[in-house]
Amino acid sequence: MNWKNVLSLMQVDRKSGRLIRGQKVTRYHENRFLAYWPYWVALAIGVAVGLLARLAYNSFAATDPSSVGSFRDGALSVFASLPTLVVIYSFIFTLLQQVQRSGVRAASQVPYWLPVTWQEHTLASILASLFGLPLASVVLIAAALVVFSPFIGLVVPAVAASLAVFAAAFMASATTEVFRILQVRFIGAVYKSTGRAAVWVRFVGSLLLFLVFYIIYFYVIYGAGAVNFIQTVASVQSAAWFVPFVWLGLALLYSFTSGELLVGLVFMVVSILFIVGLFLLATSLNRRFGLYEPPAITVSRGVYAPKTGMLGRLGFSSTEAALIRKDLKAFTRRRELMTIFIFPIIIILVPLIQTLGTTGQAPPIEASAYLTAFTFLFPAAIMAIMLGNFMIGEEGQAVWRIYASPISARSLVKSKYFFIVLFSLIILAITGAVGTIIYQPSLRSIIISSLEGVFIVFALGALSLSNGIGGADFTETPRPRMIRQSTSLINLIACLVAGVAILAPFIPYMLSSTLSTFMPSLSIPVFLDPYTATAISAVIAIVLTVIFYRVSLNSARELLRKAEI
Amino acid sequence: MLGAVAVELKGVVKRYHEILAVNQLDLTINTGEIFGLLGPNGSGKSTTLKMLMGLVTPDSGSITVLGKDVQKDPVAVKKLVGYVPESPRLYEFLTGIEYLDFIGDIYGMQTEEKKSRITEYLKAFQLEGREGDMITSYSDGMKQKIALISAFLHRPKLLILDEPLSALDPRSARIVKDFLQELKAQGVTAIMSTHVLEIAQAICDRIGIMYQGKLLALGNMKELRQMSKLPDSGLEDIFLKLTGTGDTRAIVEELLK
Ligand SMILES: Nc1ncnc2c1ncn2[C@@H]1O[C@H](COP(=O)(O)OP(=O)(O)O)[C@@H](O)[C@H]1O
Ligand SMILES: [Mg+2]
Repeated sequence: MNWKNVLSLMQVDRKSGRLIRGQKVTRYHENRFLAYWPYWVALAIGVAVGLLARLAYNSFAATDPSSVGSFRDGALSVFASLPTLVVIYSFIFTLLQQVQRSGVRAASQVPYWLPVTWQEHTLASILASLFGLPLASVVLIAAALVVFSPFIGLVVPAVAASLAVFAAAFMASATTEVFRILQVRFIGAVYKSTGRAAVWVRFVGSLLLFLVFYIIYFYVIYGAGAVNFIQTVASVQSAAWFVPFVWLGLALLYSFTSGELLVGLVFMVVSILFIVGLFLLATSLNRRFGLYEPPAITVSRGVYAPKTGMLGRLGFSSTEAALIRKDLKAFTRRRELMTIFIFPIIIILVPLIQTLGTTGQAPPIEASAYLTAFTFLFPAAIMAIMLGNFMIGEEGQAVWRIYASPISARSLVKSKYFFIVLFSLIILAITGAVGTIIYQPSLRSIIISSLEGVFIVFALGALSLSNGIGGADFTETPRPRMIRQSTSLINLIACLVAGVAILAPFIPYMLSSTLSTFMPSLSIPVFLDPYTATAISAVIAIVLTVIFYRVSLNSARELLRKAEI
Repeated sequence: MLGAVAVELKGVVKRYHEILAVNQLDLTINTGEIFGLLGPNGSGKSTTLKMLMGLVTPDSGSITVLGKDVQKDPVAVKKLVGYVPESPRLYEFLTGIEYLDFIGDIYGMQTEEKKSRITEYLKAFQLEGREGDMITSYSDGMKQKIALISAFLHRPKLLILDEPLSALDPRSARIVKDFLQELKAQGVTAIMSTHVLEIAQAICDRIGIMYQGKLLALGNMKELRQMSKLPDSGLEDIFLKLTGTGDTRAIVEELLK
């Protein structure tokens, strides 16, 4: 294997993140140090965490010297569960990243016709998918371990754990590589056998797949809580010793916690063999299917009958209606856009899983009012924000079509905004219905929550669209960006502020109702009844909507005038 | 309408940071003319064509297209123009027919007219049978055909074609060539950049040769021959001589060392 080839291929992947709209592209010069900033930051945070842990340990040991032993044991069991944690996390992350790579075939194909062996190609691909969060988190963990360990005399376990964490990330990424290739092949077979239904099979199939992964993801990251999870991992991985993915963790566990060095050594050796096996499997799959192209999806056959469309009757010009229909197809056919529909579902499911998971029964009444408001407002709001952010950027490199067509800023904003509002309201209706069934709120709660949901959708949709236009990023390799990261962050904060502003009239009401449940003796007069509050919040929402619709129009004019790609 | 001005550029300059892409370009193209824009890679052809479409804003100078200022009234201009960019990216998640349908609607075509034209064009460019497939599965040439059809579909008054013949098979290139000549008879103006010199020589009324953002030469074949002092030569020799790249022999020999 030629390591130089592997390194060069990885560099291509890393550098594909460079294209940012509006950035100077001639005489490009890379600052070596800045190019790797996420890892430097991770390193700094890791060192800081290690030092903090030291401080905590110091004060701990000073106050209660007898507990030092149990502290060490605790640290060791955390060490031993880290590899498994990293495997799960990196696997989910790299897999999601793969999914979002979309159908864009540019750039990434070059290596296939270079004199590069499949082994080099596969290794580079596995390592390159670790760039970004997985690698940064591994660096962070390793740095923290190494800084912290000398203090409690756990240098060897810490170094071993750091290495195991790197190996775990590689293991996860190699698994993703195997999945990726199999999935391409499998999808090809499905297209062939489902024929014209392929579009829908793919849509529903992808949604289900994402759903499962996101549920696991949220469960891992937010669901059970990280501390809980480490305990669970530590206890579960011994029971699941036959699953190769926990072998790295077991190697640490047996070597350092229970002192059975020989067993530890065995697990280490089989882990290494497993990783090598995964790599060989990925290589041979790549060799067989790496160049496989799924067959064409045939959507229609036979007589061509143009639609007259009901959008026209709703007052849309033929241009606007065409844009809306096109976007509808984009969101049902482009995999990276389908993911959007997952979030509302997750957002309803996660609190449900949590309340049902911990107590096994329906939540209490007081909580149910908030949960109702949550299911009405939150998914629809998220949908409006995401659609608003992506609606322009999703055009990608094909955006020249918009620029070169006789589309005015008014038509563009009108059709995009309509799409955002329509789909967010559909989500509002669905999640509202689900919330109503589950939490059985009062009629008043339902009416007010629905109205507030509508206000939020209109206002946050307009706000997010204005940012989505201003910060549009049409880059498509290695994955469609759709919006600059900084803009989407700013937008999120702005939406938070706007959301709070719209709901502000309810704050006195919420305060008094919360206080009265906790202190029933205290009777606080409600000085703003909910319907008046709704009316005031409607006014705030309308003002925000009008302002940001105007801002969107101006941004769209600017976008069409500059016509940058 | 022959003789009326279709496109007029006056003192147009466009720079990308330190690169001067188009340098003080003056050019007038008449209605009903087929105008060929030639020039080595990076000489500013695509930039010029994009500026005509309003896709790139010139740093200075003025551009009038069909009597309208592109910067002031872009939508009105775009309605009358059909444009094919170089290596066009289409909406790959649409099928060929859905894409053309979308284009028809964007230009506000009537349903019946749209349907009959789409069917005719698909037949002419031999895309029948594949129109229901997603564009992702098309070859480059097929994508180029879809891009061309979408420029012709709404019967524009002006065609702006950036290397329209690239990736096309000989038969389709021939169809485009004959089609442009038919359109010319109907008073349609066409501006195209191309590297296919035989076709440029055969169909272009006038040819402009660009080099480093400037117009080196402008005129019909006869005038170009006079200008280059190559009375009996074809366009290839004239092109090579004018752009100073004539001495290719020495270069090839250098490469073979
Ligand atoms: N977006 C851009 N950013 C920087 N430079 C550009 C850009 N587009 C074109 N150029 C430069 O402008 C010059 C002219 O390009 P172009 O008009 O595409 O040439 P061609 O005649 O081959 O079509 C080239 O030097 C090119 O590098
Ligand atoms: Mg060009």
